[in-house]
Amino acid sequence: MSADASGGVNVRQTAAHQATGSGTDTLLQTDRLRKDFGGFTATDEVDFGVDEGELRCLIGPNGAGKSTLLKLITGTYAPTGGEIYYDGHEITALDPHERVRRGISMKFQVPSVYGDLTVRENARLPIQRFADGDERRRRVEAAIEAAGLTGYESAPATALSHGQQQQLEIGMAASLEPDLLLLDEPVAGLDVAEREAIADRITRLNEREGIAFVVIEHDTDFVGEIADEVTVLHNGDVFREGPIEEIEADPDVQRIYLGEEQ
Amino acid sequence: MVNGLNLLFQFLDSFAFIVLAAAGLAIIFGIMGVINLAHGEFIMVGAYATTLANVRVGLPLPVAMLAGVAVSMVFGLVVERLIISGAIPNALSRRALGRDVIDPLYDRLADSMVATWGLSLIMIQGVRITFGNSLDQIGTPLGEIAYGGFSYSTYRVLLAGVAVGVLVLAYYVFTRTDYGMRARATIQNESTAKALGVDTERTYMTTFAFGSGLAGLTGALYAPTITMVPSLGGSFLVEAFVAVVVGGPSVVLGTALAGGLLGSINALFSNLVGTFFGRIALLVTAIVMLRFLPEGITGYVERLRERRREGA
Amino acid sequence: MAAETAGSPGSSGSPGATGLTRLRRRFEGPNTVGNSRGFWIGFAVAVLALVAYPFAVGSYQASRFSLFLVYAFLGLSLSVVWGYAGVLSFGQVVFFGVAGYTFGVVSVNFATPLGITAAFLVGVVGGAVMAAILGYFMFYGGVRNVYVTIITLVSTLVLHTFMAQTAGDEWTIGTAALGGFNGMPTIPNLAFGVGGVALTFDSIGFYYLVLALLVATYLGLRALVNSDYGRVMVAVREDEDRTRMFGYHVERVKLAVFTLGGALAGLSGVLYASWGNYVSPQVFELAFASLPVIWVSVGGRKTLLGAVVATVGIEFFRNSLGGELAFIFVGALLLVFILGLPGGIVPWVHRTYLDLRGEGDVSRPDPAEGAEVTDS
Repeated sequence: MSADASGGVNVRQTAAHQATGSGTDTLLQTDRLRKDFGGFTATDEVDFGVDEGELRCLIGPNGAGKSTLLKLITGTYAPTGGEIYYDGHEITALDPHERVRRGISMKFQVPSVYGDLTVRENARLPIQRFADGDERRRRVEAAIEAAGLTGYESAPATALSHGQQQQLEIGMAASLEPDLLLLDEPVAGLDVAEREAIADRITRLNEREGIAFVVIEHDTDFVGEIADEVTVLHNGDVFREGPIEEIEADPDVQRIYLGEEQ
Repeated sequence: MVNGLNLLFQFLDSFAFIVLAAAGLAIIFGIMGVINLAHGEFIMVGAYATTLANVRVGLPLPVAMLAGVAVSMVFGLVVERLIISGAIPNALSRRALGRDVIDPLYDRLADSMVATWGLSLIMIQGVRITFGNSLDQIGTPLGEIAYGGFSYSTYRVLLAGVAVGVLVLAYYVFTRTDYGMRARATIQNESTAKALGVDTERTYMTTFAFGSGLAGLTGALYAPTITMVPSLGGSFLVEAFVAVVVGGPSVVLGTALAGGLLGSINALFSNLVGTFFGRIALLVTAIVMLRFLPEGITGYVERLRERRREGA
Repeated sequence: MAAETAGSPGSSGSPGATGLTRLRRRFEGPNTVGNSRGFWIGFAVAVLALVAYPFAVGSYQASRFSLFLVYAFLGLSLSVVWGYAGVLSFGQVVFFGVAGYTFGVVSVNFATPLGITAAFLVGVVGGAVMAAILGYFMFYGGVRNVYVTIITLVSTLVLHTFMAQTAGDEWTIGTAALGGFNGMPTIPNLAFGVGGVALTFDSIGFYYLVLALLVATYLGLRALVNSDYGRVMVAVREDEDRTRMFGYHVERVKLAVFTLGGALAGLSGVLYASWGNYVSPQVFELAFASLPVIWVSVGGRKTLLGAVVATVGIEFFRNSLGGELAFIFVGALLLVFILGLPGGIVPWVHRTYLDLRGEGDVSRPDPAEGAEVTDS
């Protein structure tokens, strides 16, 4: 189902809310997670949790620790303290590639498609690890089609526009069939139409495949369109959590963005 | 007591050698992100120029040394314009073909290693063809320090003082001169520096000349103590290279610390087991340091500071 | 789903892939140069020419030439490690030399065909093991690629210094003296077999053995880099973090490739030791350590063919020129290529050839997926 402009937001949100009712399991949970760089604390004893199928947005002023938190979840950074639990198991000591195999997937902030390879070759790489022959071909086709890049299969990835590259990357991350997909600023630098397309994509993946999302974004409209819940980070810790309407109306949140709150 | 003195002199000799060998290379690496594997040959140029100026032209040794420095600086300028930045070939090709043919080697560590290696081969052979397989020796001045049956070359020990002087000079240049400010701005962030009006191209050119001049100084200083063969640069290159990577990007502090650490290890093992093992110990220390502190001592410190700044 | 555009392999009219075409597809792909019938014909011609070479120039020249073929393994080892996995190693000669010395020690002590066969295997394995140890130390320690370059360079220097001081009598293993600067002489010729049923390889025999091994190795590597695993290698080269996030264990990939590189370099070292019946610390010198980098930079590090062609070509020239001019030639070559043509000569020739034929970039087949989807 595609939502039209006027009723779009509410329809999506309702469906998404239905996915996260009571009784949904916790998928990801951090426990007093901490990351220090020398004397500086980027992540300060954070308890952050995401339910199965939930669409969470992570916002906060620059330097709040959003990207760091994502990298702690993927395992790119090793925490200074605290634990991370995923699907009931502790994963704090696991290498990034092991976490990926358990269902966590990430799209980086900067689009980084494999420049030397074609679109098809790019799309094939995550899939070839677990699919062969016909199955593989089918999945690659599906990934390319979902990214809206049919016809571009043999084009070098660098020939794609910024928006197309973002779509390709989201597709590649999603083709791993993760349970949790982390997106770091997926619509930075895109125009309105492209943002809509990405918002559509994310919502579709969330509703149809039941993929949980953690999305870092600055664009509050975009956040409002897709998010079930919003977490506000500030100075390395969770400042507020709740639906977007509450957050937007919260005067303290406004203040930290303006830099008055310390 | 005697062994203590032995150890001390060996340390001073080693420290001087490492610092003087590394200084020029460290500057070029730290500021331009270029690893100059022809660094040994720049030292050779300084040594040869000094020797020729002293033995063939008859200049007094200190003046001959200045000549050595000057020659290597000029040579460095030429190399920088031709190869490192490619400015001259590019200027020509822009007129002939309408485009640049060479990408500058800045921050291209692997490529700069390969390119400067080619340069080094050319330089060694070029000198061999021009001046033959060896050159007349300048005698070592200042005699020896004798103590309890041992003796050590006074000159080489005094070079430790010169090494410290070079570090002080570099520090002064980088903190008190216009050039130094520009250079440090460029290390921090090239595009910002450019946006602020720093002529980064000229800064790089000056840097390479400065680094080459220091290499020439090393050659000039050591000319009276080593055999003048075209491949003499090789023995400096190893120590210089290793000290630069262990020291990290901070030119003065990194070189000083690396000189101290590696010099002590070298002196200690040379004293206990023999010169070969002193060298091996130095190299193995370097490998271990690189494994645990890949960006060198000062690079590690700098990384911590950076992470603080950039936060999330 | 229509067939890929013109210029791709196997589309010589027949819609179904024949057995030969299917076989060819395993060796072709975007990661290697030469994906057409023309290429394979040219390849066959070149191999035949090399087979005929000793008859044309006599056994002495052929024997000298076989050294260049031996070096080709060393060049290939660096191409695999650098061009395909992104790790610039100045230390391939470490594995080359260690294997050579190991072969020397074992074969001098057990100078029977069986002993020499064992020495051969031990040498190659020795090279691989050395690479595995060093690789584990570096990659699992999280050392970034640039510093891998430096560590491998320093390792070469360590070995040079160490082997150079093995001059004394105490540095003898069994009956084999390591010999310090002078090296280890009287290493026997290569031989395979047991007792009476043995083949000894010298001169012409050695030439053909090396040629056969080289062709087999080249084809094997071609198949590897065009396979799924080869694509992972290239992905690791391109962007490690990203590849990690697709579930690949990047450190293990780099270690595996580095070990393979060690085995190849080791093979080269063993063949070298038996070719000259001699090995010395000179193989650990900076000058020799940088030769593989020169060969592969000039030939084109991202192609196997480039590595082989450049190694044999440059060494041939170096030997013909001889003496002082040779070094200047090599140095100038290196400069010109790194500055002007950093991709190397073989890819450039290939691109030019394709451009002339009007095919440009289009003819990049994806053989592993069978019938392809076309665009336009």
